Amino acid sequence: MSYCVNCGVELDTSLESCPLCHTPIINPNELQKKKAPSPYPVKTGQVDVVKRKDLGLFAFIVLSATAISCLLLNLFVFSGSPWSLFIIGVCLILFVLIIPAVIYTKLPIYISLLFDGIAVGIYLYMISFNTADDGWFRKLALPIVVLVTILVEIFTLLIRTLPVSFVTTALYFFAEAALLCIGLELLIDRYMGAPLHLVWSAIVLTVCSVIIVLLITVLCIRRLREAVRRRLHF
Amino acid sequence: MKKKKDLHTTEHAAGNGKMSFKKQEAGHKTWYKLDLSAIVYPTLQRRDFSSVYRLSVLLKEPISPDLLQQATDIALTRFPTYKTAIRRGLFWRYLEPNDRPGPFVQEDIRNFCMPMPFKAGNRYLLRIYYHGCRISLEAHHCLGDGTGGMAVLQTITAVYLRLLGHSISNEYFVMDVNESPDPEELEDAYMRYANAKVCPARPGEKTYRVRGTKEPFYTFNVIDGIMSVSEVMQVAKKYNASITEYLNAVLLYALLKKQQSERHLKLRPVKIAMPVNLRRFFPSKTLRNFITMIYPGIDPRLGDYTFEEIITQVHHYMRYYINEKFLRGDITTNASTQRNPFIRIVPLFVKDFVVRMFYTKVQDRNSSAGLTNMGALKVPEDMKPFIERFDIYMGQPFSSRTNCAIISFEDTLTINFASSIIESDVERFFFRKLVKDGVHVKIESNRA
Repeated sequence: MSYCVNCGVELDTSLESCPLCHTPIINPNELQKKKAPSPYPVKTGQVDVVKRKDLGLFAFIVLSATAISCLLLNLFVFSGSPWSLFIIGVCLILFVLIIPAVIYTKLPIYISLLFDGIAVGIYLYMISFNTADDGWFRKLALPIVVLVTILVEIFTLLIRTLPVSFVTTALYFFAEAALLCIGLELLIDRYMGAPLHLVWSAIVLTVCSVIIVLLITVLCIRRLREAVRRRLHF
Repeated sequence: MKKKKDLHTTEHAAGNGKMSFKKQEAGHKTWYKLDLSAIVYPTLQRRDFSSVYRLSVLLKEPISPDLLQQATDIALTRFPTYKTAIRRGLFWRYLEPNDRPGPFVQEDIRNFCMPMPFKAGNRYLLRIYYHGCRISLEAHHCLGDGTGGMAVLQTITAVYLRLLGHSISNEYFVMDVNESPDPEELEDAYMRYANAKVCPARPGEKTYRVRGTKEPFYTFNVIDGIMSVSEVMQVAKKYNASITEYLNAVLLYALLKKQQSERHLKLRPVKIAMPVNLRRFFPSKTLRNFITMIYPGIDPRLGDYTFEEIITQVHHYMRYYINEKFLRGDITTNASTQRNPFIRIVPLFVKDFVVRMFYTKVQDRNSSAGLTNMGALKVPEDMKPFIERFDIYMGQPFSSRTNCAIISFEDTLTINFASSIIESDVERFFFRKLVKDGVHVKIESNRA
């Protein structure tokens, strides 16, 4: 039993010097004594958040400053046409879009999506009000806005009520994309006064149908479903 | 809604575990999401660094490798999350049950906690070693924390002793290998308790960093101090502190002395990163990670501290921070990052880059050393006569510094320092202070 003369700690019999201060251990009575084996192996191993309030304030200031300065420019400098209304409209849409994210977060998502749809509708109406209108707003723009809003609401409803996974989300997405394309083509046909036929949307429908069938197969076979879930979980 | 969803995924993960046996029979593989802290560890993986810790038990008789292998094979069936391999997804990594042969017990090596590449060793994330009377378990931190690892080690030891003909009861860390795992053992307990209404800011302050000469690759320096629990307890009582508080203060004192000896022009605060076992405050049987860090420290720029002042500071810091409320806030802050949809959708390689950057620039500089105290270890009464002592190593430090781990069994308190630098100044100041306070310290080391 040896102690380090510097550190005062007892040293294991296998040590030749103090590992703390490197002072050699010399016991005059046991100079010939053989070193004890180390308790350690000898072999070396080889290796094989943004603050929401601030953001809301920032967005509000930027948008309102843009809207007001454009309005003033329109009134006093470039007063040829009411161009500032377009910019003010865009600012308004952006403002409505960011309300649920940064300003009033308790608003139910369905209502805020409805507001977004209404804001876009109002903006389009304003454009049609300011330009020569041949009924495109009533016949084409408004129905498309309504269609998109309804599809987005349904998508949200599905995501929020049914169990969510990568595959189901993709399934809803492609089903809705197909519906949207069909709706768009039919509305355009009606606006153009042409007979209601599916042409380009039929191609989209075919592609989406293939994907949908594939996704449903994945959903039905547990082994495939789990393999996808493992590799794409987030 | 978000909370509901998270709850759903937790249940889902736990449910997966419950069904694992049935599923495996049916040829289906279950999988596990990484828990909240486990996400960070694989990110820090380098050619020369892995977050691996080691737990070892010193028995009274030499180990028989064949029996140990048998015991490992039997015991690991009880720990499905430990018999896994880590895989990359598009957004996160995940653990997948590993059916490859292994893990095989091997003769112990000199350089503990060496890097653990994910694809090596049949993709197992744990290694089991034997040397003389010692059984050691090295596990990657993404599988679980010290408590989980200790359950694995003690169960293996208990099965090993049973194979030798002894009767060992299932108690404390020793699990019943004939039972199927409880779903709660496999859960990510963070998500269950990360429900504070506010996310307190993370501490972020540059602290003093121990500078040292790096040892060549594959070197792991160990200095173990073995002492009597009652002696340390007496000294700690003299200062009106607990053992953890006292040893924390001694380490802070050692780091302060080291900083003073280096004659810096600009002093920095000295802090210790100390993991707190959250199971003490939030009931959970989880065998995966369930710890959070606290940072007791002192700022020498405010003036010279006497040892008594350091100990008072540490004592009050711990009493103030280690409570259910503060800890809940802390885990909520950590969970909020992982729950953020924008972060979730970012591909894994971008996440890896950002996390590594944050860890090296902020988290790692937040503390001067690491210290963990597993406390007094509970062992079934009928297993006690076979055990000499336990050792715990925090593993290779991420930067050039030293890590300290403490564990006690019966009247033996073991303090294990691990470092990959040549200098052992912090260890010297630490043990000299203990000796000065009247504690008898026995040193063992693998340093040449």
